[in-house]
Amino acid sequence: MMPRLRETPAPCRPAALVLAAALVAALVPLAAPAAEDAPADPVLAARAFRAAAARVLPSVVTIETYGGAAAPPPPPPQERTPPGAPGRPAPRRRAGALANPGEGPTTGLIISSDGYIITSTFNFLRSPPVITVVLGDGSRHVARLCGRDETRGLCLLAIEGAAGLPAAQHAPPDGLRVGQWVLSVGVGYGGDEPAISAGIVSALGRLSGKAVQTDANLSPANYGGPLVDLEGRVVGVCVCLYPRGGSAGEGVQWYDSGVGFAIPLADAGPVLERLKAGEVIRPGRLGVRPARGASGPGVTVESVLPDSPAQKAGIQAKDVIVALGEQPVRDVMVLRALIGACAAGDTVTLRFKRGGEERAVPVTLDAGDEGLPAPPEPPSIDRGGPGRAFSMRAGAAPPHRRDQQPAQFRRRTP
Amino acid sequence: MMRLLAVAAATLPLAAAQAAEQNEPPNPFSRAIAYAQARCAKIYGSGAGREAGYATGIVVSRDGLILTAQGMYLSGERLRVVLADGSRHEARVIRRSEKLQVALLAIDAPTPAWFELSSDSPVQPGDWVLAVSNAFNVAAGDEPLSVSLGIVSVRAEMEARHRMQDVPYEGDILLVDAITSNPGAQGGALCTADGRLAGMLGKLFESAATRTRANYAVPVEMLKAWFAGGEDAGATPAPPDASGRSPGPQKPALPPDLGIRLFTVSGERAPAYVDSVAPGSPAQAAGVRKDDMVLAVGDTVVRNCREFAEAAGRLKPGESVVLLIKRGRTILSVTVATACPPAGGAGQAAPATSRQEKQP
Repeated sequence: MMPRLRETPAPCRPAALVLAAALVAALVPLAAPAAEDAPADPVLAARAFRAAAARVLPSVVTIETYGGAAAPPPPPPQERTPPGAPGRPAPRRRAGALANPGEGPTTGLIISSDGYIITSTFNFLRSPPVITVVLGDGSRHVARLCGRDETRGLCLLAIEGAAGLPAAQHAPPDGLRVGQWVLSVGVGYGGDEPAISAGIVSALGRLSGKAVQTDANLSPANYGGPLVDLEGRVVGVCVCLYPRGGSAGEGVQWYDSGVGFAIPLADAGPVLERLKAGEVIRPGRLGVRPARGASGPGVTVESVLPDSPAQKAGIQAKDVIVALGEQPVRDVMVLRALIGACAAGDTVTLRFKRGGEERAVPVTLDAGDEGLPAPPEPPSIDRGGPGRAFSMRAGAAPPHRRDQQPAQFRRRTP
Repeated sequence: MMRLLAVAAATLPLAAAQAAEQNEPPNPFSRAIAYAQARCAKIYGSGAGREAGYATGIVVSRDGLILTAQGMYLSGERLRVVLADGSRHEARVIRRSEKLQVALLAIDAPTPAWFELSSDSPVQPGDWVLAVSNAFNVAAGDEPLSVSLGIVSVRAEMEARHRMQDVPYEGDILLVDAITSNPGAQGGALCTADGRLAGMLGKLFESAATRTRANYAVPVEMLKAWFAGGEDAGATPAPPDASGRSPGPQKPALPPDLGIRLFTVSGERAPAYVDSVAPGSPAQAAGVRKDDMVLAVGDTVVRNCREFAEAAGRLKPGESVVLLIKRGRTILSVTVATACPPAGGAGQAAPATSRQEKQP
């Protein structure tokens, strides 16, 4: 019933460090032929992976959902086409880019001993009315959905009356390095044991500084589960985010692709407090349309959307935005990234030039019309297009349909 | 391990590979890769629709027996095998397994390099594994097959689907984090870092739980059991009740009446809330109440009314079952002893386990 990694007494920390060091030494020849004859020991690597997973496992929970939005039933037998035969495409109802969210359990992570569990918004795309959580000891509890952070793809569950739960330990964020080993851990395939996937940290500070990028496999099997370092400390929570925005769950089209995102929690205390209070954190909107072809530095405003935060703050056409808070705004891309780091309700100081005079006004970002999560899109989508409304939120990027891709590609360089 | 590597080196048919190895710095995987590549074959059959007409195979005997995955490509009139040395051979299918979705081919040629099928799994989660296959048909003629590196993610049972249809696979699979769910990779070898065969990359399917493509292999000891057995041998290493072949279409079973009527006005996808409990019924005797919500029937989580009906429908008359009940915010389990159905209701002889169920 409960996920358990067999074997492996977890090594004490110095041992883990030695293991990690040996591991790096052992695997260097794979990445680039090394001059030295490093003893290669794949067995050591496997032990380190198992030990790391075993360390975080007590904090990993299984989430079960009941009811919720329907999935289409499988077609009746007589309508089925034989495997491989050309036939009409099956009817699909899409949640994000996946035909349907799966039917199995999903993963969560205990972040406090009194019963708060962080997980991915992907796991509740069906809006289930009843949620239960199965802890490491096999006990099952009714869980309450507190708040959610659509900018990070996270939401918080609470189980009442809990005490003494094993909260996960977070990796210190300043110790993270690109290239270091990480493991994703998830229970979404069901069964008795968690599924683990090994990879490295691919990049830091992704998605406006909110996410760590990894090439470990992230998918519905581990969304909401931890991405851990080789000591079993949580580097981040695996989420289903898509840099080009789109509807909730859109990021699933990149599942198992070698590009995945995890949200570090070590510095997320204020966010978690808001989620505990039941808040919904949405992406922030400024509401200006940038002029095209204007030379920088700064972003020249072509027009201001009516009833937007920018209009309320008195921003006008031809103003040149030069800074947000203390951060200089070089161009549209920088402005997008800075807005992307904020949420609706945040108040920021906007500095702009009007007729050679620099001014500063406080602007309170809003969530705009839609309540859907939408991280900022990369600038390439706008390039060359007509000057369409620039709401500082993702417009609808053309949805990439996973089923149009011939197959998955994956490059792995240990 | 050392012994095995020695054997590997001694039997390597590719002298060139060894020569090349001597000029390279040591690599923990290079020997295993060369060993496995020499024991895999490219298979070409007929394509149909979106199914590729090619795959990979594993040589499993010295006299030309090759294991591969089931697929449409096997159903054409012509089947060709290209061995690691580039030699081409006509092949024929001599056996198939529905449970494992694998097939055994034969060619009329000796195959001096072959994989030993082990009766024990050589891997556990976290172990490095090498997937050797002709994914996307990239390798032609005597070009070596493609290799990708990953770890074993988990060994699990999986409810498998492909294009909205159930795939009748039975038994465990080895999920890996290398991407193997690509056309042409089916039938490829999954090897340990020291060259032992851990499994065979299986037919393409998706996990019903996650709706994602499964990157997996059929564990070697299950292949061995089937290969060694005369017929479609049991899928799990510890043979369960070997009660013959799985039944065809499921027969409607007459379940015992628990006495629970669900609140189904919101549809069969609504949670299984109890609308009423029949007086004198097993459920009432067990203390089930109106407005309780059924979370699980036995070990089967029931997420909605339909799943409750399915799970309850699999119960046998006279069987006791533990229901997991949510009452308010508390969860309790009740044991319901079902009554034998009244006379005339026991016409069906339900197959003992018409469908293998997951046991925790």
